[in-house]
Amino acid sequence: MATRGVRPQPRGKPSGLPFHARFTDVAAQAGLRAPVIYGPADRMDYILESMGCGVAFLDYDNDGWLDIFLLSGTRRDGRVDGATNRLYRNNRDGTFTDVTAKAGLTRQGWACGVTVGDYNNDSFEDLFITGWPQNTLYRNNGDGTFTDVTEKAGLLHPGNHWGTGCTWVDYDRDGRLDLFVSNYLVFDFDKIPPAGKDPSCTFKGVPVNCGPRGLVGERPMLYHNNGDGTFTDVTARSGIAAVPPAYGLTAVAADLDGDGWQEIYVACDSTPSLLFHNRGDGTFAEQGLQSGLAVNEDGREQAGMGIAIGDCDIDGSLDVLKTHFAEDTAALYRNAGHLNFEDVTLRSGLGVETRYVSWGNGIADLDNDGLPDLFWVTGSTFPEVERKHPEFPHKSPRVLFRNLGDGKFEELLEAGPAISEAHASRGVVFGDFDNDGDLDILIMNMNEPPSLLRNDVRGGGRWLKVKLVGTKSNTSAVGAVVTATYGGRKQTQAVLASSGYLSCNDRRLHFGLGQAAMADVEIAWPNGLREKITGLSAGQLVTVKEDAGVVARERFGA
Amino acid sequence: MRAAALTFFMFVIGACLARAEQPQIEAHLGKGTQLMQQELFEAAANEFDQALAVNPSDPRAHFQFAVCLLSLGRNDNARQHFEQVRKLAGESRYLTYYFGRLDLLANDYASAIRWLASVVEDPPFPDVAFHLGVAYVSSGDMSNGIKCLERAAKVLPRDYRVHYRLARAYATAGREQDAAREFDLYNQFRDEHKNTETEARACTTALHSQSIETAREVCHRMFDPNDPEKLTLLGQLFGDAGAFDDALGPLKRAVQLDPKSFEAWHNLGVTYFRLQRYGDARRPLETAVGLRPEFYGSVVLLGATLYMLGDDDAALPVLEHAHQLNPADSQTKDVLEKLRAAPPKK
Repeated sequence: MATRGVRPQPRGKPSGLPFHARFTDVAAQAGLRAPVIYGPADRMDYILESMGCGVAFLDYDNDGWLDIFLLSGTRRDGRVDGATNRLYRNNRDGTFTDVTAKAGLTRQGWACGVTVGDYNNDSFEDLFITGWPQNTLYRNNGDGTFTDVTEKAGLLHPGNHWGTGCTWVDYDRDGRLDLFVSNYLVFDFDKIPPAGKDPSCTFKGVPVNCGPRGLVGERPMLYHNNGDGTFTDVTARSGIAAVPPAYGLTAVAADLDGDGWQEIYVACDSTPSLLFHNRGDGTFAEQGLQSGLAVNEDGREQAGMGIAIGDCDIDGSLDVLKTHFAEDTAALYRNAGHLNFEDVTLRSGLGVETRYVSWGNGIADLDNDGLPDLFWVTGSTFPEVERKHPEFPHKSPRVLFRNLGDGKFEELLEAGPAISEAHASRGVVFGDFDNDGDLDILIMNMNEPPSLLRNDVRGGGRWLKVKLVGTKSNTSAVGAVVTATYGGRKQTQAVLASSGYLSCNDRRLHFGLGQAAMADVEIAWPNGLREKITGLSAGQLVTVKEDAGVVARERFGA
Repeated sequence: MRAAALTFFMFVIGACLARAEQPQIEAHLGKGTQLMQQELFEAAANEFDQALAVNPSDPRAHFQFAVCLLSLGRNDNARQHFEQVRKLAGESRYLTYYFGRLDLLANDYASAIRWLASVVEDPPFPDVAFHLGVAYVSSGDMSNGIKCLERAAKVLPRDYRVHYRLARAYATAGREQDAAREFDLYNQFRDEHKNTETEARACTTALHSQSIETAREVCHRMFDPNDPEKLTLLGQLFGDAGAFDDALGPLKRAVQLDPKSFEAWHNLGVTYFRLQRYGDARRPLETAVGLRPEFYGSVVLLGATLYMLGDDDAALPVLEHAHQLNPADSQTKDVLEKLRAAPPKK
């Protein structure tokens, strides 16, 4: 990670417009009390201890209520009681029960990223977890338990790697979810130089953990799903191996050029980010620079952490938001079509915020006004620095930009204690855990319990949720693109298996509709089928089955 | 490079007219500029603020303060101080350039284009065409944007930012081959830039923390006998550390390689001046003034050099020009008065 020394742009006058989302951190009362262990609590001696991990909203038991999966790290100096990845079942009353042990998911190690998807098309969501020194595939048995099938699936890699970003992606449109994994760097506790050894191991004159600069980057990997529970490494054959080693973090797959084939975008830390353009023949061409997504508008690489995909300017195409280190802005890229992205960070108003190291992020309509907002979490990787430089705090607040329309955003500096409270956070996911018609937020905090920000939207904004079930396509419908038309607006969202920082959102798509009472949706299924459904009334979750239309409607809401 | 020139310029403000006492304002300006070069912008702003407290109508202080505020992203404040400079010292190409930059940062592309286009034929800084090209591209005028960026690529052939913007503009215009060529150049110069950054960081650290012998060894790694910009930077790093003898070699090579480099000539002149080799300083400074006749720092230093050489006849018109460029510099004024009062030499 590296600062670019970017100064914030001056803030304009506040719009004074009301923002109708109200967040309350209900983690403790919901039963999410166990801290997420990740290295020592007061220092970060190694880069592995500083990077943290992701979280996921998923419905592992198909009961229509979002459950929670929290990754965890450990400590170098021995096992830590209670340090494990955790699965929490939703009790449907605002609380959760820890079912980790019962589900067979107890595991202590350095987990990093998670992607959720039904790789064997049995209608139950499976889990793939990256980490150091190995990754893990858990098959959902459909009875509340999971089985570690990593070795059997052929996903146990030789040697140690630091897997970070991961995403399910049906890159060849055969109806089965393949797997992409990004790797960060070559890590070995015994070979990493000590803090302060060289310029890569100091920050603002303070000795800090070393890297990534000065350490050896790694290439990503792509595994093809053979359809029999096993995977084949196609990294070389697919062209993914053709890129030079990089410090890869979050990986997200989405059809960014609207040709029906999913691209894979990898946020890289201090090296140009990678965009793998899907050629549609089983191979990819790296097009980061050409697309404008590799570096900032002056051609400088940034410390890419989290990636959010959404339609910020509601023009019907998928834009990209990427977070970076402190003394730099996040980058907002407008999709100009034909895989050409325009850096609109400054003109959209995001240049005002450069204070924090920024991680998990989302493009999500938090107040149901029909305009997607921007949210990200923050936290330093160098706790030692704040003693000398209080302007670089270890724990820092969440960042919220409300969408003003016309491509402009406004940072809300006083959005309530749940937003302004300082934590050292990493992963974040968005989903409606209490099924009340708005988007709640789950956040991973380093060596603290997670934050669960319950959203209680006022203001009367309407909403529509769309859940897709693939038949010819993968059952999770990962890769589908849905465009909703409402109140004269057109907003596109994609079903993603990874988002934010190493995390995975509720895969039910949530559209705030503003005052619109109805919406039409057009679905581009991963296998190419296009389906249009008109006249959907607001305030409901519709389940759409591929080539069968709406198969279920559920009305819920406050 | 501009920063380098400005730094040296401010170095000499106090040093060049050694026969005069250094007033308080010059100390603040000099310190402020040094701090700016170390990217300690807040501290630098404080110095410029103090300079203005001493003399609120000194256009140099307003100008330096404005440039500093621009670096801090306090663009509205920067604009106010540039406006003050305009009131106190009138229009100049430098002000036009900065107003264009500020409008570009404010996304007012039409105004940025007006400002920058008016100085693109006689640019005060080499990156005018680059910013003008960016303004055109941002406004959607791809044709003029590409023309300006192509021009910028000729002026700044090793600047990776120019090649990246040009590549992106070509790609948007569907000129794939041209885009590919520019992306290749971007990659090449970006890599070189990163290497230079790393080497310069190591050199600076060594110069400030180790013996000059060890530092020389570290700094020599960035000695590229074929890269005038890198050589100029190396000379600057030595100069900043007070190692003027070591600065000479890279700077002499730089002016050989790029005889049109104002920064290289100016820095070479300053280096000789600091070594009190006034005879050697004369030609580099004359060349620098020839390249940028309105750059006060070079002009006043040339005048001071001639004055120190005892060539008062030559010094007088140069210092008069310096005084015109910066009427608020009381030291120049004092020396001018002495020169005018002196009996003519036989």
